[in-house]
Amino acid sequence: MKHTAAMRALLAEYLGLALVLAVLIAIFGLTTRNFFAPVTFRTIANQIPVAILLAVGMTLVLSTGGIDLSVGSVLALSGSVFGLLLVKYQAPWPVALAACLATGLACGAINGLVMIRWGLPSFIVTLGMLEMARGAAYLVTDSRTMYIGGNLGNLSQIAVAGVSLGFILAVVLALAAQVVLWRTIFGRYLIAIGTNEEVVRLSGIDPRPIKLAVFMLSGLLAALAAVIHCARLSSADPNAGAGFELQAIAAAVIGGTSLMGGRASVVNSLFGVLIMAVLETGLVQLQAGEPTKRLITGAVIVGAVILDRYRQRGQ
Amino acid sequence: MRTNDRPLSWWLTLLAVVLLLPGCQSAGPSDKPVIALIMKSLANEFFLTMERGAQEHQKQHGGDYQLITNGIKDELDVSRQVDLVEQMIGQRVQAIVIAPADSKALVAVCKKAQDAGIVVVNIDNQFDAEVLAAQDVKIPFIGPDNRKGARLAGEQLAKKLQPGDKVAIIEGVPSAFNAQQRKLGFEDALRTAKLTLASSQSAGWEMSKANQVVAALIAEQPDLKGICCANDSMALGAVAALQEAGKSQQVQVVGFDNISAVRQLVKDGKVLATVDQHGDRLAVFGIEYALEILRNKTAPADRETPVDLITADKLK
Repeated sequence: MKHTAAMRALLAEYLGLALVLAVLIAIFGLTTRNFFAPVTFRTIANQIPVAILLAVGMTLVLSTGGIDLSVGSVLALSGSVFGLLLVKYQAPWPVALAACLATGLACGAINGLVMIRWGLPSFIVTLGMLEMARGAAYLVTDSRTMYIGGNLGNLSQIAVAGVSLGFILAVVLALAAQVVLWRTIFGRYLIAIGTNEEVVRLSGIDPRPIKLAVFMLSGLLAALAAVIHCARLSSADPNAGAGFELQAIAAAVIGGTSLMGGRASVVNSLFGVLIMAVLETGLVQLQAGEPTKRLITGAVIVGAVILDRYRQRGQ
Repeated sequence: MRTNDRPLSWWLTLLAVVLLLPGCQSAGPSDKPVIALIMKSLANEFFLTMERGAQEHQKQHGGDYQLITNGIKDELDVSRQVDLVEQMIGQRVQAIVIAPADSKALVAVCKKAQDAGIVVVNIDNQFDAEVLAAQDVKIPFIGPDNRKGARLAGEQLAKKLQPGDKVAIIEGVPSAFNAQQRKLGFEDALRTAKLTLASSQSAGWEMSKANQVVAALIAEQPDLKGICCANDSMALGAVAALQEAGKSQQVQVVGFDNISAVRQLVKDGKVLATVDQHGDRLAVFGIEYALEILRNKTAPADRETPVDLITADKLK
């Protein structure tokens, strides 16, 4: 890999999305009273760790040409297990945390194993998991929201320069994932599988363990997101995360990750998450009505992807 | 993997079959009247409580009637609920007690049920009066006055504030009748107490959405003093957002529904008040009313059920 060329391409990539983001911020800064204030940016930063973690997982899955529709439900199920252990069984938090992460990992493993064993498309397998995990979440919580409160609430209050622990963790993990994707053999395999799985197989590399790993990773990240989600809201809600999978997909695609696989950038997905979050917060502050919000959000998603097309052509 | 590719239509058919299966339970032969309870989302704690109340009631009055309960996946799945009513008509139940997911879209199919000789009782979310009139159909509504309940909560909030103080309303799904009623109730209370309505926005009944909306609102309007949430899930989300912004002391929150998770917050003073509309009894009221109509062949008329304000004092 030629580093200078890669760096230049990198700059060109980030510039487009950063521009969209800057335009949005400028518009909201001019049209609302307090958007352009540190408190707004802190609010956004504290809100997006869940979206970031899910987008990271989704980007890795998409890079192999797969898709994981189950992340929102897996988040709900892992969070429910977490809340249940803390509240109902009074378990110490490390135990609850371990069980929560194990739940996410297990869901991801089931997704991966079923896909591989029966050669099914990830779309249908994870759609099944979307239903199963949601159902399981309702079962374990008896469809009730549990108030956790106590120590967990304080956990989300820990902040460095006003920015929550969750945000820092999410950004660090996203950067780590980017390094994995671009600088490790595992990352190369992901892209290679997404580009042409048959060629990977013919060159003597078994793609199956790699695909299993990427779905397990996605499940694990969803569970980690669940912990942050529960800590933020001081409660475990079996309805949590509905529709988050689509947001994660949108963030990744805005960032130029291909739904067909073979092309992915975690850092760009991060921009995708930021664009959506800035949009949501800004529209609330503009007092836009619900229909307007949806209209604009949808238009910006499509607009960003169109821009991405031009950017690719330019390269 | 492309080893076992099938056309999309194949998968969609499979999906349809899987999704339709749970609807196929049979009423079974019996001479007891069969009452079908058609709910909104059974994933929602509120409707689950309602359903449990109904099942409990059926057990105690097992000799009087048979109960079939059905719910939809989420509260917006209107067409699925229409299918459920159709299925119940097909099963020739004697009465349908329905919490419609949409106050207009379900009217036509309920009229069809009535035409088939089935008693239809409307609970929870009231059918739209204009559509009922347009379709020339009368469906009795038995349930709480959501506007009155919201007004009670709003008045409790007003007691803590001064005239001119800024208050925001977090609405439910804007198209839902009870969401609209609760919003009106909050507005009634704010107007009477001369509070300023700073913003009214929907968070679609959802906790995390409310959290995001309130976080943005409080950044934009740092002098906010109160938040009226149209349900308790959204109140939980609002409280978390206020805590994060360090505004818990400054901003008072009220909710609606009295779900278990919010009771602790009411006790701790983090939520000022919520409204109990006796969810566990709502379906039962409907069933009892349906039985009464079946027994006496009475002409259907609307009936109101109680709503009560829940504050920290009442929970001690």
